[in-house]
Amino acid sequence: MSVLVKEPEAIVHAVQGFSADTVRAHSAARNEPAWMLEFRLAAWRQFEAMPWPESTDEAWRRTRLTGFDLNQFTPVANAAGKVEKGELSKLLQAELNEMDSAASMVFEDSGLRNSVFHARLEDHGVIFADLQSAVQQYPDLVRKYFMTEAVKPDLNKFTALHAALWDTGAFVYVPANGRVTLPLQIILNQATAGVGGYHHTLVVTEQGAEVTVVDDLLGAKDGLQASVVELIIGAGSVVRYMNLQDFDHSAWNFLTGRAVLSRDADLRWIQVSWGSRLTKAFLDVDLMGAGGHAELLGIYFPTGDQHIDHQTLQIHRAPHCFSDLLFNGALKDKSRSVYMGVIQVHPGAQKTDAYQRNGNLILDPTARADSIPGLEIEADDVRCTHGATAAQVEEEYVFYLMARGLTRAQAERMIVQGFFQAVLDRVPVESVVHKLERVIERKIGG
Amino acid sequence: MSVLEIRNLHASVEEREILKGVNLTLRSGEIHALMGPNGSGKSTLAYVIAGHPHYTVTEGDILIDGESILEMEPDERTKAGLFLAFQYPVAVPGVSVANFLRTAVSNVRGYTAQQTEAEGRSGVIGSNLMPMREFRKELNEKMKEYNVDPSFARRYLNDGFSGGEKKRTEVLQMAMLEPKFAIMDESDSGLDIDALRVVADGINKLATPERGFLLITHYQRLLNYVKPHYVSIFYDGRVVMTGGPEIAHMLEEKGYGWVEREFGAEAVPA
Ligand SMILES: Nc1ncnc2c1ncn2[C@@H]1O[C@H](COP(=O)(O)OP(=O)(O)OP(=O)(O)O)[C@@H](O)[C@H]1O
Ligand SMILES: [Mg+2]
Repeated sequence: MSVLVKEPEAIVHAVQGFSADTVRAHSAARNEPAWMLEFRLAAWRQFEAMPWPESTDEAWRRTRLTGFDLNQFTPVANAAGKVEKGELSKLLQAELNEMDSAASMVFEDSGLRNSVFHARLEDHGVIFADLQSAVQQYPDLVRKYFMTEAVKPDLNKFTALHAALWDTGAFVYVPANGRVTLPLQIILNQATAGVGGYHHTLVVTEQGAEVTVVDDLLGAKDGLQASVVELIIGAGSVVRYMNLQDFDHSAWNFLTGRAVLSRDADLRWIQVSWGSRLTKAFLDVDLMGAGGHAELLGIYFPTGDQHIDHQTLQIHRAPHCFSDLLFNGALKDKSRSVYMGVIQVHPGAQKTDAYQRNGNLILDPTARADSIPGLEIEADDVRCTHGATAAQVEEEYVFYLMARGLTRAQAERMIVQGFFQAVLDRVPVESVVHKLERVIERKIGG
Repeated sequence: MSVLEIRNLHASVEEREILKGVNLTLRSGEIHALMGPNGSGKSTLAYVIAGHPHYTVTEGDILIDGESILEMEPDERTKAGLFLAFQYPVAVPGVSVANFLRTAVSNVRGYTAQQTEAEGRSGVIGSNLMPMREFRKELNEKMKEYNVDPSFARRYLNDGFSGGEKKRTEVLQMAMLEPKFAIMDESDSGLDIDALRVVADGINKLATPERGFLLITHYQRLLNYVKPHYVSIFYDGRVVMTGGPEIAHMLEEKGYGWVEREFGAEAVPA
């Protein structure tokens, strides 16, 4: 146990800049047990030892960090404390009201603001807790799974930074055969401008469990977000995960997520990247057990000067697994997107069935989409297909729709919406579909 | 009573003249069949009437009730009462039949203008559409009437439709849009006999005194079900002969070779 010697606010304010002392103060302010402080400090040392990404690194060749300087950010935000739902901003209340959820948590800046439980989750052994409390309440579970299995701190520079400074996020644990039918909703609003945020999502399901989790990410004006998503999915368990990123267009956003699937597990991951000035997202699905089924579906729609980069990895380690990846993006103005993806089939992963598609709809000649699909196959009895397309709005479609009485603007809008439909059709929560449709409409409009 | 007039229409694509002086008049209540060999420019004529941006009109005019439509965008022409059933309807991924048709019908029937005026709303998507319930009801009724399976409302426009399903959906759309003039570009091609009957029935139902039809076809087949008042032969970018239904029978007998001999470049002027 660490001993709290000063008031949390005072501790954080006493230390400035990114340093081991900041990490210590951050941990002390949360009254964390020694093992977590040790974990953070070890990660900080790794962070310091790792070089910053260079444009010569394959992963960063098309996504440069020009203009990014860690010291431009306040390392961690303060936590504002808990309030009633009615005291949250109108926007956050609307976000909560729109979704019919089993339970929700709202984080602002570095702490939990509000949580609501509609279903009696604890009666069924289901844990839906903010990660800060989970460290205290469920130390064994958190210690076992937190950045040990799916995303380790030294995976990249930003995961190391995240491990050292993680602040908000949820811990979801569903015991064997537990079923949460309505979604668990997590909202992060990085409200204060110019700060660093390190949101973590840790979902662990046991055999046969079912759960749907939605992460809603907002704010981060002039800020930094280095988030991590870990989905550890038990045998025969069904997980639906949605990561809806709608940060301010001035935010630097780095996401590393990995799902680890046991035998016969079934995952559908929806990745939405609307906001940020720059996003670099590493998303992996790791099929460890036979018969696993993973769908990784993404949509993005950069406008202005936004730069959105997704790098995916579908790892087939075991036989008879299925993975299907579809990322569709539309681009406007001078925006840029990068998609890099690899399907990796290990020796022995026979009867692998893997797909990977990336479609880009270029709405302005000044926008640019790069797509680099790849296959690394070390088994012989597999079926893998991949493909990438970049196209403009098809004039023949526009003419057909106009010949039926739609104006050009209506026709184009419908074609762009239709382009996203292949992913929207597979979004399992209706309120999320409506919300995504509204954003698409807004983005098409200007 | 309305009139669609095509006067000495010349049109080209990529500098090549395809339509070389088309003259044709279609009145409400008339069914006019246009028959001609492959590549003679029938679809081009249909596209030019509908306002396809690919083609340039170099001479002549197209008028509805004396007003030229040449300067109109394709959607404005549709609002003016034109409908083109495509020979090859394109598949538009992700756009459902019901969703797109609701917008189309709302525009053509003037919901857009009305609602905005009445309620002072503007620019809000969905605020000025035909009410969903009303639209659904009418669509369901018409799907039944025109033999289109109800599941097609939710399917994506022509996406994975068979040839016959595409043509039937074109007829359904026509029934919803209630045009003054319908140009049917080979709505009979690629259909088996049952599908042909369905399409022909649809046309017959819609062939009311307020509506004119231009039926583009190669064969007598469709005309066994839909009785034309006039038949014109189209050849090398123009109408070369117009008469009654007997013309179609003559063509069936003599074949397009006869047209070529009679009206082709080598033909000896009478
Ligand atoms: N967009 C285009 N670009 C280039 N050439 C075209 C285009 N549209 C039509 N053409 C040419 O114009 C000529 C007439 O074509 P059109 O499709 O109008 O004939 P059609 O009478 O409808 O033939 P079919 O009976 O086969 O449907 C053809 O030689 C065709 O290749
Ligand atoms: Mg044709």
